[in-house]
Amino acid sequence: MSLLSQAVTILLNGLQQGAVFALLGIGLTIILGTMEFLNLAHGALYLIGAYAGLLVFKEAALTNGLLYNSGIQQVGLGAGFLAALVLVPIIGFVVGALMERFVAEPFYDRAETDQLLVTFGLALIIEELVKQVIGGNTFQSIPPETLLGVQASGPIGLPIVGSFPRWRLYIVLIAGVVILATYFVIERTDFGLVVQAGTRDSEMVRLLGIPIDRSYTLVFAMGAALAAFAGLIGASFQTISPQIGMERALVPAFLTIVVGGAGSVVGAIAGGMVLGVVVAAFQQTYSQWAFIVMYLLVALVLVFRPQGIFGSVEVGE
Amino acid sequence: MSDDTEPDGGPVVDEATERVDGSTDDLLERILARDDLVVVGFVLSLFVFPYLLVNLLTQIGEAIGFSIGGYVGLPTLVLIFGIVVIGFNLLLGYTGLLSFGHAAFFGVSAYAAGIFTAEATAFLPTAVAHSPLAMVGVGTFAALVIAWPIGFVSIRRSGVYFAVLTLTFGQMLYYYALGPGAWLTNGDNGFSDVNVGHLLGTFELEEAILGADFLRAYTWQYVFVAVAAVFALWMANRIINSPYGLIFKALGQNEQRVSFVGLDVFRYKHMAFIISAGFAGAGGALFAIHETYIHPTTSLYWITSGDFVIMTILGGTGSLVGPVLGALIFEYVSNVISGVSLPVIGAIGSLWRFVLGAVFVVIVWVFPKGVYGGVRDVVVALTGRGDDDGGEEA
Repeated sequence: MSLLSQAVTILLNGLQQGAVFALLGIGLTIILGTMEFLNLAHGALYLIGAYAGLLVFKEAALTNGLLYNSGIQQVGLGAGFLAALVLVPIIGFVVGALMERFVAEPFYDRAETDQLLVTFGLALIIEELVKQVIGGNTFQSIPPETLLGVQASGPIGLPIVGSFPRWRLYIVLIAGVVILATYFVIERTDFGLVVQAGTRDSEMVRLLGIPIDRSYTLVFAMGAALAAFAGLIGASFQTISPQIGMERALVPAFLTIVVGGAGSVVGAIAGGMVLGVVVAAFQQTYSQWAFIVMYLLVALVLVFRPQGIFGSVEVGE
Repeated sequence: MSDDTEPDGGPVVDEATERVDGSTDDLLERILARDDLVVVGFVLSLFVFPYLLVNLLTQIGEAIGFSIGGYVGLPTLVLIFGIVVIGFNLLLGYTGLLSFGHAAFFGVSAYAAGIFTAEATAFLPTAVAHSPLAMVGVGTFAALVIAWPIGFVSIRRSGVYFAVLTLTFGQMLYYYALGPGAWLTNGDNGFSDVNVGHLLGTFELEEAILGADFLRAYTWQYVFVAVAAVFALWMANRIINSPYGLIFKALGQNEQRVSFVGLDVFRYKHMAFIISAGFAGAGGALFAIHETYIHPTTSLYWITSGDFVIMTILGGTGSLVGPVLGALIFEYVSNVISGVSLPVIGAIGSLWRFVLGAVFVVIVWVFPKGVYGGVRDVVVALTGRGDDDGGEEA
């Protein structure tokens, strides 16, 4: 493998991993920026997305858990991946809206530490609930065979790189479209303007007579929908188990916004891509060091550029 | 009386009226408000704790048909985590810094103590190299050594950034122990070459101090850990009630004012961080002695840091022994209640984390002072407050 093709492969793998990080990061950052609310249950939303995707897409064969014990061996709609792409964000949106109403809202005025702790507890509850109902076992990843009539599995021939998994390429494209759409909603619509202004100074927005509280539920739900969507994308190439919310989503989401700069959508996208490419580069060369280097990078950014690469404000400082 | 030591112990008005009353109820509250009496109470309770947890609960369990009794090693485990969270609380409860990386100090100390027993025989007599006291010394020292640079960097940020920074350092050590550091730690297979010798060269840690069955939970290991726990609590008490510790509390309340007074905020926070890491280190070394096996996931992984947070909050921040109560509840529920099988639902099994999460949310939501603070409030409300209400109405 030549150096160039190796570099391009790293870049593609990095973009694909980075896209998941970016989706998670955008969700977390708009919630953090607008409501100054720290959501440690963000990983749990990813978890919900992954399992919702599994159950909408396929009929999953259960091996333990409450449903299995009550005689249900197969569960799921088997409605195909397209249905999952549509339904999962909606499920995430609804869960997020409920979460904002009943858990987050009472904690807006309380100490940052309390917010962290209550959402941490909520994350534990959701993880356990999934484990109890659907079972604690690991499910295989759910890459679709075809999507919209186009073949999605198998390798694809690319210039320079040669053969590359087709689905991984599509992930970059699909996630890219969603990220761009989010970017346009935030940057080009009136709603986005309110959210953006809210991340800068929510009190000022309220003083201008804009009912920003009403936008809160919408922003929270949107962030949750993005996290759930990230969960679906993640589940399409990684295994699914109740631990993934804490292990694969929560910590990377925080690292992403810390690197990119809290409260900035562009920062979250950039942060996700930077982390994704760094991890991919080391996974391909010195795989044992990949995560150590990722955390080291975050520590360096925090020490030398605490506002992040693109951020202008420090939240919670 | 308690005004000198603990201004937050309760409303001053209450105490003034109660002092006039001089009833036994107000004695109780005064005891609860005084930290050094709490230490004495802690020591006394340690004498009966293993009996209550292991023997009595087993007997009650047999009577009602559920196995709710603790096993012999459980009191020791509770106190080990108790030591860790006493130190964690110095940081979270008093200084107001939430660290998500204390597993780093816990784990590094456990590994240092374990590796010391395996390697030190080359240049030290076996009696020293395998001595539990030396293990605790080496482990705590290792924790302090890595806490210095980690604290030096992390303290520069506050809030979420502090939490994330401590998390990143902990995770770096975790992945190092799991992968590149496997030559030292034996990676994912875990480090099992922990050789624990006799305490002071004479006492076998696994043996009970006396042969009687009702004393079966009183092993030498329990005695060792209990002495360490008392020492830890005594030291925390000394720190908090010293002028130095007063500055820790002041930092938790208003950092800006501390700096206005002319004190070096960074230095005090850094010291609080290192001291707290020392407690985690002592606990980690004792954990290595207790388990004689160390795995990155049980020692260094960030979930362990999360467990420390849960225990501390559960028990109650801002009181010295509160977190120990949290450690007791956490370990009891995770080790004993998880094995209980109920008639309708069946085995509780892994449901314990669900219950724990729910309890945790309720506590953060309703009782920010934790179980200990909640119980204390109830006691005060039942005794002192009741009298006062009557007085006010009249």
